[in-house]
Amino acid sequence: MAKVEQGYISTPEEEEFELRAHIGSVWSGGRLFIGMYTFLLASLAYTYFYLRSSNSGNLWRPNHMTAPMSFGWGIVLATALAAVLAVYGQWRFRRGGVADWQVAGWTALALLLGALMLQIWELTKLPFYPGASGYASSFIGWGVFNIATLIVSAYWVETTLARGMRLRTEIGGDRPTLSTHPSAQSFRANVASMTYFMGFVGVGAAFFFALFYLI
Amino acid sequence: MTISAERPVATSGGATTTTERVSWTQRPGIWSQHLGTAIVGAIVGYLLGHWLGNAIASSYPYVQNSGQNVIAVTLGEIFGVAGWLLGIGALNYPLAKLTGRQPAKEVDVQGWSKYFRYSTNHKTVGLQYVVGVLLFLFTGGLLAMAIRTELLNPTTHYFSADTYIKIVSEHGTVMMMMATSIVVGPLGNYLVPLMIGSRRMAFPRIEAFSFWVFTAGYMVIFSALPLGGFPTGWTGYAPLQTQAGPGMIGYLFGFAVIGMGMMAAGFNMAVTIINYRAPGMTWSRVPILVWSLLATSALLTLATPTLFAAGVFGLLDKTAQTAFYVNEHGGSAYLWQNLFWFFGHPEVYIMALPGFGIVGEILPVFTRKPLFAYKVGAAGMIGVALLSFFVWQHHLYQSGINPDMRPLFMLTTELISIPTGFIYLVGMGTLYKAKIRFEIPMLFALALYFNFLIGGVTGVFLSDVPVNVTVHGGFFVLSHFHYTIMGGLLFAFMGGLYYWLPKMTGRMLNKKIGLWHFWTMFVFFNLTFFPMFIIGLLGQPRRVFTYAKNLQGLNDFSSVSAFLLGFSFLIFAFNMVYSLWINPQKAPANPWDSRGLEWQTANPVPSYNFERIPVVLSDPYRYSEPGAPAVADLGDAGLVHAAPQD
Repeated sequence: MAKVEQGYISTPEEEEFELRAHIGSVWSGGRLFIGMYTFLLASLAYTYFYLRSSNSGNLWRPNHMTAPMSFGWGIVLATALAAVLAVYGQWRFRRGGVADWQVAGWTALALLLGALMLQIWELTKLPFYPGASGYASSFIGWGVFNIATLIVSAYWVETTLARGMRLRTEIGGDRPTLSTHPSAQSFRANVASMTYFMGFVGVGAAFFFALFYLI
Repeated sequence: MTISAERPVATSGGATTTTERVSWTQRPGIWSQHLGTAIVGAIVGYLLGHWLGNAIASSYPYVQNSGQNVIAVTLGEIFGVAGWLLGIGALNYPLAKLTGRQPAKEVDVQGWSKYFRYSTNHKTVGLQYVVGVLLFLFTGGLLAMAIRTELLNPTTHYFSADTYIKIVSEHGTVMMMMATSIVVGPLGNYLVPLMIGSRRMAFPRIEAFSFWVFTAGYMVIFSALPLGGFPTGWTGYAPLQTQAGPGMIGYLFGFAVIGMGMMAAGFNMAVTIINYRAPGMTWSRVPILVWSLLATSALLTLATPTLFAAGVFGLLDKTAQTAFYVNEHGGSAYLWQNLFWFFGHPEVYIMALPGFGIVGEILPVFTRKPLFAYKVGAAGMIGVALLSFFVWQHHLYQSGINPDMRPLFMLTTELISIPTGFIYLVGMGTLYKAKIRFEIPMLFALALYFNFLIGGVTGVFLSDVPVNVTVHGGFFVLSHFHYTIMGGLLFAFMGGLYYWLPKMTGRMLNKKIGLWHFWTMFVFFNLTFFPMFIIGLLGQPRRVFTYAKNLQGLNDFSSVSAFLLGFSFLIFAFNMVYSLWINPQKAPANPWDSRGLEWQTANPVPSYNFERIPVVLSDPYRYSEPGAPAVADLGDAGLVHAAPQD
């Protein structure tokens, strides 16, 4: 059956073409977004190594100043666990475990929000001033980027979960993991992209934790 | 999956109509969201942010010592932009998503009011961008007139040295911001779906977001002037940046905001080109403009985050008192240069590639020849895009680079001239033995090749360390980049407007006035900027409001030419007003006899672009080729026979 939309009639073939293009967009858009974010975080990593190697006035990291380790561990563990849960959730989702995915997703969201609160709290408890050294400046930069990253991640996870909850009604009670309804197909593509991004966030958190707390 | 050439025709009896929920904020009329609510949102947001900043930071010692609360200014700018986006409706969808709902259907508002709304129609966004970039261009141009007025005399001054450098800085920044979006925004958004046979962009809301963020960036950068301006030039170098007053916030935050728009635009464009090409639109049939926009989008998406990060670090230096760019506190002024140019040099190609894409579309139409070595041209664009990430340090030949690294970056910089040369030769090959129709778009295309030759050759000189060391920081460099950006991109953009405005507006631009526009612009562009090569070689530095007395003759010549160049833009503006409103002439559906898919649609283009999604049958450049197949099967509209024609 053809569908009238905005003054034109789409044939079933065209509907299918549009759907495939849309799913492809969600898929490639998710990966491109990761690429974009990689360049953003790479700018921070470049800054870290540039200031470290420049060591202007021997002020890269006087007295090996380090941000509070307890906060660092808390943030990285919460973020990494959220990433693992997102990956696990998708693994279960693909096998039809929608409830497992939802539980994993909401837990991941709680962990991300926890990490966000810890990150903000940490910035108020630093044992150095923002301009005390190259390290201190880079760390503040990381704090700001990490807050943004955690907000973006939490938003993506939350909107996906919320969409998943409403989807079942929309697709007539079918399971979103199996349904051929266009909304369900689009949703699955979004879940996959979100999971990739969460994996990326987890790796990024571990990388910068190593840079700022361990090295 | 392919769509067969013989498609079923849906009958009204078999059709279903869906009733969509429409948000009150999107309904037509004054009680909805539009430019007015955006302005109110921006003002309220700015005041709120400024008040908050004062409440937080007015007691801070460094605020009290300096007497300038940059935190209040920064929060004012941030909240102002947020209020602008909230007011226009850009945040409706992201907020609605939090509840898991599908977004309310956007109304496709008819009439003029749609240009003042958050439209998700790519054609509306394209035309919004036309007005937006022209606003940027004309205000930046007025600042250029002020610069040339000051340089009329080395001893009689219209501005103080401080005011002069701030005008120069504002001019450069505004023009660079404009130039990054001048093709991707107006022509890219309008034309790409039409050229690839799509009914839409991949992410229409992101597309609309990119435009409204772009306009917010315009206001932020101009807010620098009432805040005292910034003295750094468009490059914003530290430590000047660190020492500058609150006007610097306008620069740093302005670039960050524009950067968000650029990333959004590039992201949407790239995803659309990859996924929404019509059946049969293989990569070897993709129009050269689309190739150029794909390469540009990759650069926008991947290089701009670095600019964004650099801007955020600068803002943190100003507000949180970090020391990213402060040598005395463990930072480095050179860090800014590296981050800035890691974006800044790809940006040069963000500006150059779409220009070549435009002339690549125009040349075959007006020579009635296939585009010479099409695949080499496309490969050249990808090559330029890739190499552009490896040349940034040539901007640091004289500062912040280990001298041993200079030869490496000299090599990469000279390497990039190879794919650039490919692109240039594609144009020359197309022109070879051609019977040219000297229509206005073609004149602008030819002017690009003339101007870019001068800009390109001087660029090769500048890539060499010894020459660069000699002429760096002077008018020679200034003239070089005006020849590449203005002489290249802006001429291409003008050619593109004359070429595609009949499709975009349904009106032909007046040819006689257009000829006046072209010749005054071409002649006075060259008379303005060519003398600057000589002025530069004779030692006049950039960004300084006085100069040696013996250079006054050349400067005056350049200034008078610049005023006449400015006048040429008035001719263009008059042509727009005259042709679109005073004496409108209806444009035929395909006034240039082009094979391009975008010309195979009706005039004006319906909101859905194509009645049937086309099946592409051949590339669009097979002019004068006996037996060449039609470009596309447009379904019910029948096969399109746009070629061959002589």
